[in-house]
Amino acid sequence: MTRQQQTPSIDFTILTLKDALDLAVLIEEEARDRYEELSAQLVLHRTPGAAAFFAKMVRIEELHRKQLIEQRHKAFGDAPVGVRREMIFDVEAPGYDEVRMNMTTRQALETALKSEEKAHAFFVSVLHNVQNPEVRKLFEELRDEEVEHQELVKAELAKLPPGDPLERFDVGDGPAPQ
Amino acid sequence: MNAPLFQAKDYKSELKPIWCPGCGDFGVLQGLYRALSAIGRPPHEVAFISGIGCSSRIPGYTTAYGFNTVHGRSLPIAQGVKLANPELLVVIAGGDGDGFSIGGGHVAHAVRRNIDLTYLVMDNQVYGLTKGQLSPTSPKGLETVTSPLGSLEDPINPLLYMLAYGAGFVAQATPADMPGMSALIEEAIRYPGFSFVNIQSPCVTFGEDEQQLKAHKGKMKTLASLGHDSTNQLAAMDLARAYGKELYTGVFYKNPNPPPTYESLVKLRQAEQSKKARARHQILEAYLQK
Repeated sequence: MTRQQQTPSIDFTILTLKDALDLAVLIEEEARDRYEELSAQLVLHRTPGAAAFFAKMVRIEELHRKQLIEQRHKAFGDAPVGVRREMIFDVEAPGYDEVRMNMTTRQALETALKSEEKAHAFFVSVLHNVQNPEVRKLFEELRDEEVEHQELVKAELAKLPPGDPLERFDVGDGPAPQ
Repeated sequence: MNAPLFQAKDYKSELKPIWCPGCGDFGVLQGLYRALSAIGRPPHEVAFISGIGCSSRIPGYTTAYGFNTVHGRSLPIAQGVKLANPELLVVIAGGDGDGFSIGGGHVAHAVRRNIDLTYLVMDNQVYGLTKGQLSPTSPKGLETVTSPLGSLEDPINPLLYMLAYGAGFVAQATPADMPGMSALIEEAIRYPGFSFVNIQSPCVTFGEDEQQLKAHKGKMKTLASLGHDSTNQLAAMDLARAYGKELYTGVFYKNPNPPPTYESLVKLRQAEQSKKARARHQILEAYLQK
């Protein structure tokens, strides 16, 4: 029977720049995939406004991912990837419990804002253990970018009319066929 | 680091889950993919068996073999699958109603046979798929469409239930702690014998606010932080009594000396009997002599 070792966790004290870049790519990938899932869920449950916003987040996270991949390829070419998606849990991806059917666009934006704050907190936290100066520089940049993203989401929030979100049981959800 | 044999995404099927947005089962499914990736068995060596209910849709969302069976019958069918092909890794997924109400009678027999199966119960304390009726783990006093004045019944305690029947591995998890839950599912699958994980997976539509993941994050306590010795069955039973009051996560009990599994005993029996087996011509001769 094939058995692998348990997924190792990340030791940030010895993380190399290559692994750090790959990790950053995986963080964006996880967020992209989650927004894609959440958007699909909300389409299925007739919540188009929030679904459209999450679909927009998919494109944004994908853009960030591609930028990081480019950076990684410029520095390390096709050198093998040393980190795995299974090593991270919801760094920038919103939790599954953050969404609800009939959530408003405002609530969707607030969910994204919370996720950007979570990602910022992640980089702040791991920077305590990072020793490699190049990795430190990269993570500081990423940490600061998360603040910029928060500002962008806040600006979008400010454009919305004041919220009057529906209560969760105000609108019934019919059975979804499959 | 060696390249992984399988990644979590290799176990994810094309079918998109239709659970309500915010459902705890989304997290459980992710945890399951990750646990399978860590175990490293290819999808064609894994089978998911389920009954009926929201969580019983899990087989369809994986690339492994799957059988979404009938209500409450996942355990006997899973036992049959495992005995027919002992090399398969068999995981059972279902809800508290499926497992402890209509299927409750099968639990004792699955446990006492000790077939190498992993049973994951997504315990949401309500019948969600059928729009919110009282389930066997609903707390006393819960108002539902079938108990408009509040339930008069005490809930079943799934942890004590399993421990009392002698299950060799009993744990509890919540998707509010994804890394912990994934690790527990993995540990349960690796346990050589019948293993059970009660996953407090809230129903976002019909569940109570204090049962949601946000509430879990505030109240969950790991058994490790309490200094619990998971090889101590009596201590496990004592802690399990807090089901419904406290949210303990981790391994309640893990038999340090797992007894032989049923399928290994079957194999031994077959080997013994095959020594005594007569050749075809001997059987024919014996028949003709009569």
